[in-house]
Amino acid sequence: MTSQSHVVQPPPLAMWLLTLFALDDAAEHILGDLLEEFTRLASKSGLPFARRWYWRQTLKTVYQLADHGFRTAPWSTMIAVAGGSALRGDAGRLVEPTIFAVLERYHVYEHHFGTYMFFASTGIDIGYLITFLLVGFVVAFVARGREMVATMSLGLFWGALTVVSFPAVVMQSGYGTALSRVTVYFADSMAIVIAGTIVRTHRLGAAARHLQA
Amino acid sequence: MADRDYLGEFEHMIVLALLRLADQAYGVTVRQEIELRTNREVSIGAVYATLDRLEAKGYVKSHRGDPTPERGGRAKRFFRVTAKGVAAVSRTHRALESMTEGLGFIRSYS
Repeated sequence: MTSQSHVVQPPPLAMWLLTLFALDDAAEHILGDLLEEFTRLASKSGLPFARRWYWRQTLKTVYQLADHGFRTAPWSTMIAVAGGSALRGDAGRLVEPTIFAVLERYHVYEHHFGTYMFFASTGIDIGYLITFLLVGFVVAFVARGREMVATMSLGLFWGALTVVSFPAVVMQSGYGTALSRVTVYFADSMAIVIAGTIVRTHRLGAAARHLQA
Repeated sequence: MADRDYLGEFEHMIVLALLRLADQAYGVTVRQEIELRTNREVSIGAVYATLDRLEAKGYVKSHRGDPTPERGGRAKRFFRVTAKGVAAVSRTHRALESMTEGLGFIRSYS
């Protein structure tokens, strides 16, 4: 006998992940199927077992959905990734000159040395993060319906380049500096994926509101 | 050319599961049927990715059921095998039979 107050719910984070990666209206069937089995498993084998099962299904399914999303539209995804790479390269080159131009324009070095030092070091890293967040927004905006696949492909591409170039960076600037640079580069890739997540979440919310209206 | 296609291993299992389940074939039952008969854990994502591929090839068709409370008000997506799908599974089955014929397969490897 299960009353409405005792209805168990799957992990919300897992459900959100599935919704992010599902194409078109697939989230409805997938979440419905998983909830049906989760409820049965929870009453038969206990809630912890059912939660572990749900997470296992979620991780495998997210991988399948990302793979399926890429395979069903490989060219448009690759064009989004190539465009994003070009944009990332062009926009990335503008970050440092822009920050130094602003610092020089307002004579920050002469009047606020501490502020100058902050913007000349951490400020540049923040500038890159914001720039790559914007690149992620553009890629996700173009790759409608496949925001996560496109931004993750771009993030993975740059992440892979970072790994490949790591030995060269170590030889050039030493292990400690290289490690901190690599952390920043990975953060840049994460910024692109986070932008994809924001755009996808916003579009899903808009679609849900449209359905309700 | 697609009419001469053979089914992949997982596609083959999915189509056989649909044929077994008849009008009760949707994500949960298909996943459970394959798990029960093959003893391997199957993800719902793999099931739907394969079903979508089979639908794109014209081997299966799907339709939405009614939303139900135990699914949080979400609808089921039912599947059935088309005539083209039955032909593909028969073709694949014949090819496998032909390839294993004379190998003493069951006796040697079971």
